[in-house]
Amino acid sequence: MNPAVHLDGITKRFPGVVANDDVDLAVERGSVHALLGENGAGKTTLMNVLYGLYRPTDGTVRLDGEPQSFDSPRDAIDAGVGMIHQHFMLVDPMTVWENVVLGNEPTTWGGLRVDREAAREAVVELSERYGFDVDPDATIADISVGEQQRVEILKALYRGADVLIMDEPTAVLTPQEVEELYGVFEELTDQGKTIIFISHKLGEALSAADEISVLRDGVNVGTVATSDVTREELAKMMVGREVLMDPATTPQEAGDRVLEVTDLSVDDDRGVEAVSDLSFELRAGEIMGVAGVDGNGQLQLVEAITGLRRPSSGDVRYRGEPMAGKTRRDRIDRGMAFIPEDRQERGLVMSYDLTENAILGSQHDPPFAERGRIDWRASRDHAESVIEQYDVRPPDADAEAESLSGGNQQKFIVGREFERDPDLVVATHPTRGVDIGSTEFLHDRLLDLRSQGKAVLLVSSKLDEVQGLSDRLAVMHEGEFTGVVDPATVTEEEIGLLMAGESLDDDSVEGAALHEAASEEVGGEETASEGAATEEVEGEKAGEGIDDTTAGDEGVDA
Amino acid sequence: MSESDADGRPSVVARLVAPFVDRSVAERLVISVAAILLSIVIGFAIVLVSGRIAECTTAAWTMPLTGLGFCYDPVEVYVVLFNGALGYPFAVGDPGLLNPEWTPFNLSFGLTLSETTLLIFTGLSVAVAFRAGLFNIGTQGQLVVGALATALSVLAVAPLLPAGRIAGVVLVVIGAAAGAVAGGFWGAIPGALKAYADANEVITTIMLNFVAANVAYVLVLEVFRAEGSSVVATRYVPEYAQFLPWLFPQSSDFALIALLVGVVFIGALYYFVEHTSLGYDLRTSGVQAAAAEYGGVNAKQTTVRAMTLSGALGGLGGSVWVLMSEGRWMASVPDLGFDGITVSILAGNNPIGVLPAAFLFGVLKGGALEIGFRTDVPTELVAVLRGLIILFVAMPEFFRMIGRYTGVGGPPGGVPGTTEPDETAGGDRGETDA
Repeated sequence: MNPAVHLDGITKRFPGVVANDDVDLAVERGSVHALLGENGAGKTTLMNVLYGLYRPTDGTVRLDGEPQSFDSPRDAIDAGVGMIHQHFMLVDPMTVWENVVLGNEPTTWGGLRVDREAAREAVVELSERYGFDVDPDATIADISVGEQQRVEILKALYRGADVLIMDEPTAVLTPQEVEELYGVFEELTDQGKTIIFISHKLGEALSAADEISVLRDGVNVGTVATSDVTREELAKMMVGREVLMDPATTPQEAGDRVLEVTDLSVDDDRGVEAVSDLSFELRAGEIMGVAGVDGNGQLQLVEAITGLRRPSSGDVRYRGEPMAGKTRRDRIDRGMAFIPEDRQERGLVMSYDLTENAILGSQHDPPFAERGRIDWRASRDHAESVIEQYDVRPPDADAEAESLSGGNQQKFIVGREFERDPDLVVATHPTRGVDIGSTEFLHDRLLDLRSQGKAVLLVSSKLDEVQGLSDRLAVMHEGEFTGVVDPATVTEEEIGLLMAGESLDDDSVEGAALHEAASEEVGGEETASEGAATEEVEGEKAGEGIDDTTAGDEGVDA
Repeated sequence: MSESDADGRPSVVARLVAPFVDRSVAERLVISVAAILLSIVIGFAIVLVSGRIAECTTAAWTMPLTGLGFCYDPVEVYVVLFNGALGYPFAVGDPGLLNPEWTPFNLSFGLTLSETTLLIFTGLSVAVAFRAGLFNIGTQGQLVVGALATALSVLAVAPLLPAGRIAGVVLVVIGAAAGAVAGGFWGAIPGALKAYADANEVITTIMLNFVAANVAYVLVLEVFRAEGSSVVATRYVPEYAQFLPWLFPQSSDFALIALLVGVVFIGALYYFVEHTSLGYDLRTSGVQAAAAEYGGVNAKQTTVRAMTLSGALGGLGGSVWVLMSEGRWMASVPDLGFDGITVSILAGNNPIGVLPAAFLFGVLKGGALEIGFRTDVPTELVAVLRGLIILFVAMPEFFRMIGRYTGVGGPPGGVPGTTEPDETAGGDRGETDA
């Protein structure tokens, strides 16, 4: 029997770049196939070829053995290929069933009227057949991200997809939602659908796929069955060398208070309170992790700390100095480094080259500027040094920021901010979109900063990252810390519960820590700092064990 | 810091030349030439058609073979437009390429350069605001205010100084400073309104144009009007306080020194935008406000600064208009500020591009006057031809599209007719990310 999808010797060239080089890929009907690789390995390009967005320079796409020639995604959809993009293409104010049929509505009156009843009926029938628990009449804006993803899948199924391509499907989900997604995979494959999903997370590929193909530099370095491969082997295939799976933290005494946040409340752009009465403190030589599903106030919290947003009430002190009324400029000058969440909006000026981007934030300061004049030579040297140290590709200081891939943009921002010689680093998703090899390097750099006595506030939706690096881990939900826990002893399920806004059972050890943390918030600063310190020492003792308990961690990504 | 690579640095010469041979600048020049040629082709047809519609006793041009007569000769129109604007350097119809009696210092070329000079200032004014992401429609008003301030300050100070060359230099400096300050103030108002009251600068600058024009009119009408003048105008500033025509005929209203000052300002503004910290703040606010804010740029301050600078340049344009062209403030101020918007857009809001763009406008203006002198073609038709040229030059994207489609310039975008989206070349292998 022919494989459902057979990519036969696909080569895709862009001017100056070979994105896919003679890639062979065969996927059996009714199986889940993971396409694993680092950023820029050519995964998305390959799938765009299959989905008809790109025409291959060379090679053939075969479905059930039939050679296909797609001019556009429309052709691919007609041939039964559906793609679910990382960013959902849904219309927020419309209902689930309206979104599913959008563009392919059943009509009556000779095409003049949408047959709403038939459309809704078809959607209900479809979601029942695959066991999807989605209310067809709910508005997209009102349902969870996981449900929205199922609506996207329904959309593809409604258009007759037999092969579903999913681009980084777990990137936006909570751990629980990820589990549910795996359930959906099973349901779909049981009914003969074929799933190919793109990922750069090992754990995810191992737990969800039947077979894994690893792409590196546009070449398929191997297709393996999930049952006979280990994490380490996969990582080696992806990177091309041995990878240390976890950062090694060493115990360390925390130093002076660098950041004190007291009763901080911050509104979002719509004037709705996004951070509510939050208090914590951060000491030199300490990494505090903030975990949580995106959009629970993390953005507003870091913006209030770094001077991009005015808090509605409360107090931020930096090295003992009140920050109220201090501008962003003042805070940069006092040694705050900030890796923003939105690198393309904030972190980089997309139309500037890397030389110009290297001085963003330092454009008034020596050695880059003297008496108001910018020294472009110094900024070029700086750009080149960041590029070299942080392995930014292409290594060209004249390349415009927008020509870099997301992972390389990120590396450049992180490099620029780390090299600022800061006292406080506020890092939001510092390794988002960055490949394993570079992630490892950035983690090491974060730990270097910690051992140099810098304070780090690490906001990330990657649980393994915040758990592996932090001295203390706060979980944020709807603008509040639902818990401040010891990252070494807390379990993934517990973090998942906290992320969902539930409190932990008081009987457990972690629960006790949480209880303590919660009472600290009420109790005031002194007790809070003591509690934090003891907690931390315990954390470090247990921290050694973390290396052994890696399996599965990385797959979880909120 | 990594060890520096001495060979990797461009030489001083290369750095000086770089802004002119930049790929995008070269591309823009090619596009501009193509645009002018295409607009001429279409203008030809329009001239012919209107030449058929118009009535005249003798045909200016007869079409070969058909014997159809046309009132206007399109070749003549364009020859006079471009050749005339320069004072007929090219010997069209006569033997030889160049006209032996031609010197650059003629009346027509003087008129062309006079317009060019004024538009350099207004073009820079609009460009600097644009670079900060602000749409300053108010250069006209800033020019009116600056011009009035110049005329009044020179008239006020002149009696205090003994007439002579030195007093002239002092008065010009005082007048220009007054024009820049007044224009800068007039620009700062919409800047502050935008920064602190969230008022859209397009609306406020347009409104302030009316305020400027009418307040200035009433002030001059009621207070500063020259005795016995039939028009609403101030007294003339003393002869010695005006820019000397120097080499060009007096009647051309052009002073080479003013053009040189304009060119110096172009260079200064280029340096400011590209090589200073404040310039970096300004253009970063313009291209990506959120990133500028992240980089510690005070958005409100930058807005006010950019509008003040823009207004000051517009006000300087007014000073030049008074001290070079008119010799006094008068109520019929030409639309230099509005033309400055087009000049700036043609220049891609690049200070250096303002020079050729202002010159093109100058040529079209000078040429139009020549056509009026030399031919029967109505001025309205000339305005249409001017408009066509500007229209085509102002839509470079259209020509880029043609270039891509025909494969002229730029890498061929794969197989023609595929739905392949435009890929940015470089490291991004189509990888998407969060």
